[in-house]
Amino acid sequence: MNNFSQQQQKIRSAASRLLADGTVRFVIGWAPTRFAERTTVLFAHTEAEAQALVWNAHCTAALGKYLLDHRLADYAVGIVARGCESRMINRLLTDHQIWRERVYILGAPCPGMDAERCAGCRERAPVVWDELLWDADGMPETGGRQDAAPTNLDEATIADVGAGLALPAVGAACSRPLDTDTSLRSRFFRAEAVEGLSAAEKFSYWDEVYAKCIRCYACRQACPVCSCRACYVDMDRQGFQGKQHSAADNRVFGVTRAFHVADRCVECGECERVCPMGLPILGQTQKLIKEIEALTGEAYVQGMDAEEENFLGAFDLDDKDDFL
Amino acid sequence: MMYLLKENFDKAREALAGAYAVVVPDEVLPPKDALFPRSETLYETDRRTGEARAAGAGGKTLLFGVRPCDARAIGNLDAAFLESGYVDANYAQRRENATIVALACAQIPSPACFCDSMGGSPHEAPEADVVLTEAADGSGYALDFQSEKGSAVAEIWKAADLIGPMPAHLEKAPAPTCTLKVNKVPDLAQKLTAAFEDGLWERLAEACLGCGCCTYVCPTCYCFDIGLENRGGTADTFRCWDSCMFPGYTQMAGGHNPRWSKTQRLRNRYLHKLAYFDERYGRTLCVGCGRCICRCPQGLDITRAVEWGERL
Ligand code: SF4
Ligand code: SF4
Ligand code: SF4
Ligand code: SF4
Ligand code: SF4
Repeated sequence: MNNFSQQQQKIRSAASRLLADGTVRFVIGWAPTRFAERTTVLFAHTEAEAQALVWNAHCTAALGKYLLDHRLADYAVGIVARGCESRMINRLLTDHQIWRERVYILGAPCPGMDAERCAGCRERAPVVWDELLWDADGMPETGGRQDAAPTNLDEATIADVGAGLALPAVGAACSRPLDTDTSLRSRFFRAEAVEGLSAAEKFSYWDEVYAKCIRCYACRQACPVCSCRACYVDMDRQGFQGKQHSAADNRVFGVTRAFHVADRCVECGECERVCPMGLPILGQTQKLIKEIEALTGEAYVQGMDAEEENFLGAFDLDDKDDFL
Repeated sequence: MMYLLKENFDKAREALAGAYAVVVPDEVLPPKDALFPRSETLYETDRRTGEARAAGAGGKTLLFGVRPCDARAIGNLDAAFLESGYVDANYAQRRENATIVALACAQIPSPACFCDSMGGSPHEAPEADVVLTEAADGSGYALDFQSEKGSAVAEIWKAADLIGPMPAHLEKAPAPTCTLKVNKVPDLAQKLTAAFEDGLWERLAEACLGCGCCTYVCPTCYCFDIGLENRGGTADTFRCWDSCMFPGYTQMAGGHNPRWSKTQRLRNRYLHKLAYFDERYGRTLCVGCGRCICRCPQGLDITRAVEWGERL
């Protein structure tokens, strides 16, 4: 049994209310597409559009990154936030990318969606919210996909209220490469899959992975940590790294991305979900987080509040490494 | 009409390996990668003497199992790289060396396919040299050899005794129809261009991440960037895929960016696919393969822009 439809109603009513009383300019949530097992992201601007928001196992995209598009906004933005979105929001707050008072957070405890990125998720209840839409008690704390009930196709007809276009339903899955095994796994499942290998085997494993990389940088675009206005990969004339796809450049990109994000990574798994080539790149950040935990002997979980220090960003004059 | 038994399908592919480098298209990336590679060296310059030398663009290839939409997409790339007044040497060489063996779709491979709404057909690939179409009883493939390059393939298969005349009682299976039906109005290009300032573009783009997946998996995107790589003894000039979904694509040296917002960038992609190419080459760039719909991580759907035409 799932509560998706009741909870969906709560999302719609809350969003309608926020739009009606002018608290926010729009509410970011999900809407159905014409494909049964896919949703898209909807910015609901009106109460009518709020009635097109959906909540089901196919709400796989994380919404947090969109807040960056509105970081200079002089208006408030509403957002439906599960565990992953709430940690993304904390990430953006910690990094001084958004104003807390310009985000209205509708907390939505999550049962785990039909995406591989949810399989290792340990924080399903939001950690920051303005309004908790339903109780997190009784929600499974862990556990991959809980219920892959298809998108209610009747709703596809109102999916495009936002754009004033009605979409006839097609009614079959249109899957992405990695959304296959959504069973529950350990927090560091990708890293653990590689850890047993010898150094040489690891090297060739990652070389094989990155040989497939087409350097589209979707992994960066989706990542809430990647908030730099100018990313080093776009400075290809400065000589950090070329734009060509070669073993060496792909390797440099893979390692650099991992090191730029790992100590601030909120483990949302979006980088991997969006990769069109289906590359298991979560393994890198998971491994680095594991290493941080091993080095400090403490749990290292980012995005739990908006004040935390990140491991590589912390600066201390008494640092024992005198080269600093 | 010649005929290939299903049980000989793999042998037919293997028989070609002697004469060609056989490329079987990847499930995600379109076959354009074999003609317009994601990254290629154009020329190498000797750093001591300053002498430049073209890197060349490989030998004979054969693309085996190309979908009809992708074959049609190659026709569009031909228009851009060969027929626009400038002949792109590397593309021309690869294209000249490439033989295209298309496999007509017996079933519609994806619910996002809409080639028959865009003027194509799951069973027709006039750009291909050979087309394999399943027989109605599923026992094998009817073979259409559509060019000289195709005849060369026929000779190899005949010599290997893999093909014979199609039995008289057999016929081609009827073409399947795409489940996704999109009403593309005849004057879509003019209508969308006229709606350039419409507020709907912004609504369509709101959910876009700007990740560029859609352009990298598109069989008809052909934008590239050119760069230099220091290889020690030589400086290599390479080109690699680029995407109009990236801000850097239109970034000027002085800092100005005429397409500074993602709405402008998405509008450019949709208009290039559905209007600008029509205006220049008289054919729609988007062939309706559905890849950008399937691979878009946020569920954006170009057919919304096509259907918008009905209301404009
Ligand atoms: S999303 Fe995947 S293919 Fe694209 S740059 Fe990242 S790792 Fe490479
Ligand atoms: S690196 Fe990947 S998992 Fe970590 S925050 Fe970025 S997108 Fe999420
Ligand atoms: S725009 Fe999309 S549907 Fe059209 S050819 Fe490109 S990938 Fe295929
Ligand atoms: S302009 Fe954009 S849509 Fe057109 S070919 Fe280039 S990348 Fe593709
Ligand atoms: S794949 Fe989707 S999200 Fe990414 S740039 Fe294209 S339309 Fe935008």
